[in-house]
Amino acid sequence: MSQMTEDQLQELAQDLNSIRDEIVADLGERDANYIRRVIRLHRALEVGGRVMMPFGFIPPVFVAATVSLGLSKIIENMEIGHNVMHGQYDWINDPSLHSQTYEWDTACSSDSWRRTHNYEHHTYTNIIGKDRDYGYALLRLSDDEQWHPAHSLQFLSYVMLSVFFQWGVGLHELEFERVRRGEIRLRDKLPFLKDALHKGGRQAFKDYVFFPLITFPVAPIVLAGNLGANLMRNLWSSTVIFCGHFTEDAETFDEKDCENESKGHWYLRQLTGSSNFTGNKLIHLLSGHLSYQIEHHVFPDLPAHRYPEVSERVQSVCRKHGIRYNTGSFRHQYGTVVKRILKYSLPDRLRMRLESQPA
Amino acid sequence: MPARIPQTRALHWLGRQLFNRNDPAAFFDPLLETLNPMLVQGQTLARVEQVIQETSDTRTFTLKPAARWAGFQAGQHVNICVEIDGVQRTRTFSLSSSPELWAKQGLVTLTIKRLPGGLVTNWLHDNLSEGQVLGLGEAFGDFLLPEPPQPVLFIAGGSGITPVLSHLETMAAQDFRAPVTLLYFVRTQQDIIAAERLHALERRYSALTLRIIATDESDKPRYLKSQDLSTVPGLKARQVYLCGPKGLMDLANKQLHEHGIRKKDIHSTFFSTAAPALNADLANQVLGGKVQFGKSNLEASSEGDASLLEIAEASGLSPRHGCRMGICHQCSCRKTSGTVINRLTGKASGPGEESVQLCISIPHGPVTIEI
Repeated sequence: MSQMTEDQLQELAQDLNSIRDEIVADLGERDANYIRRVIRLHRALEVGGRVMMPFGFIPPVFVAATVSLGLSKIIENMEIGHNVMHGQYDWINDPSLHSQTYEWDTACSSDSWRRTHNYEHHTYTNIIGKDRDYGYALLRLSDDEQWHPAHSLQFLSYVMLSVFFQWGVGLHELEFERVRRGEIRLRDKLPFLKDALHKGGRQAFKDYVFFPLITFPVAPIVLAGNLGANLMRNLWSSTVIFCGHFTEDAETFDEKDCENESKGHWYLRQLTGSSNFTGNKLIHLLSGHLSYQIEHHVFPDLPAHRYPEVSERVQSVCRKHGIRYNTGSFRHQYGTVVKRILKYSLPDRLRMRLESQPA
Repeated sequence: MPARIPQTRALHWLGRQLFNRNDPAAFFDPLLETLNPMLVQGQTLARVEQVIQETSDTRTFTLKPAARWAGFQAGQHVNICVEIDGVQRTRTFSLSSSPELWAKQGLVTLTIKRLPGGLVTNWLHDNLSEGQVLGLGEAFGDFLLPEPPQPVLFIAGGSGITPVLSHLETMAAQDFRAPVTLLYFVRTQQDIIAAERLHALERRYSALTLRIIATDESDKPRYLKSQDLSTVPGLKARQVYLCGPKGLMDLANKQLHEHGIRKKDIHSTFFSTAAPALNADLANQVLGGKVQFGKSNLEASSEGDASLLEIAEASGLSPRHGCRMGICHQCSCRKTSGTVINRLTGKASGPGEESVQLCISIPHGPVTIEI
């Protein structure tokens, strides 16, 4: 991590705060109209997908219905749910867009997400041991963690996690690795488990029981389409999220370096621990603008569709302070993620020997 | 409809499962409102049917609420919700029409004066026109007529006349059989709100004695005098209703007390004044205030720059929170009234109902929070 003095950090905080203040002062009708337009698009895609699905015995309709429902879930999770829960639209005062009461269309309960993501992940970003999103306690992604033979198969774990991503996220707060190590008792997690079961059950009931049953003669088609839509969302959202912090140069931090940290230090950690990827407008929408992960981590509660317009200014702040701004094409960034997963699946000695060889 | 209740309950349960929300019907609102805004289920809307200029700074808006609106009693108020620059703003106003008009024609009226510096009242005057829709909450308030009829004295000032108009229209329509006197204080004759309606009421409703007193037309201000009360026949037997600026209310309370009117016979209602626009730095502000925790039924006072989160915790509450630095919004909750100052920006909030982050909100005068 770049070494900066407290004065430099304070200047960094001022630079970023002034960008933030300017956007906050400008929030208004444009942002309200934007999120309403996205919500209308989501409703149209979901209603369209559900209505078309029973006619999925016609192959092109099956594809259209599945893609429509899959896109609706992606947009709801990424651009609406994730962003609304960050409080990006609290200032609108619309009770249906309130960060603390919004419930999203995925197995993870919004309450659990708000604790593990908004609070833990965004406050303790990339601090090994405090940010449990770093590798999801499943993958070894840095040498801060000791290698274990089980890690050699971690690419397989990664694929499984992506396929069942909504369930992985839903059970994230269980902290199963800590329960297994005996650090916490399963009993204390019972309220969480009850909550997780309730929300997960609700999602499974909807997509895998209710909609197939009411369309009984074509139930297998509806079930397959709903599974396909969920799979689409799982793979996409896991890929976007992995590109946000696990790219090659995204930094990690030590707990003791972050005790009593200043706002400037927190900003620095967000800037160096996150990574962007480039793309067109559709990619940004479907990623909930997490393609601007750096901007998102610096300003988690500014409406995400504003990230493209602050990006240039964040980059110039980075240049001014000599901080690396980690971005690249989607293909490149994702490539480095896969490389990182594979690299750290190897024992350190082997990894270092491979690394020291010229490519 | 006892048979329908379990059925609707089951449907509601199913809706919650399918749409992940407690008001499943509102899931379709974003699509419905593009067809017809009045179809929206998430809130009750009202359409503006007519706008009448009462005085230079007061207008009456005639509204047609969606049919599911539950109605009201004379003297009650409503919250209205309008979107200004993308932000939904809620404010409370008295209804100025009678429940009869609602029953017969499905209409209600709001009579609203521009408040200097007031965000919402000025916006309503400048922007709200026929055909537009706004959110309308259910009516509330206990500024109600005596039941059974008893002699009544109204003392109103300025736009404080609005709930009294509702009362008088209702009394005239029901032929309320008891003496009714209205002492209405206005700055000048030009400031009389609903002058025509008042004079028409005086003509057709014989029990009503109307006295309009202009305070600012002579060299010396002409405020409420003890004599004004002495001229009201049978004053001691009257139920007194007060609505107006604080100065008038204080004066009236004092003089009524001197005339031996008991507290329980005096009814008063809120009267809105715009909060001064505050934008100065934190250092120049008087911070702190009385904090009501609505759901917990607790009250606390604070001085200085303690945040609502700190005040709540000092009062023994443990509201949900996370980062304590304004990042994560775990502590966001509804403020139902009062003004708070954002610790990070030094800016003051509006006075109405809205969402605030407890960890960076400092009370600025009395505040009510839903925790």
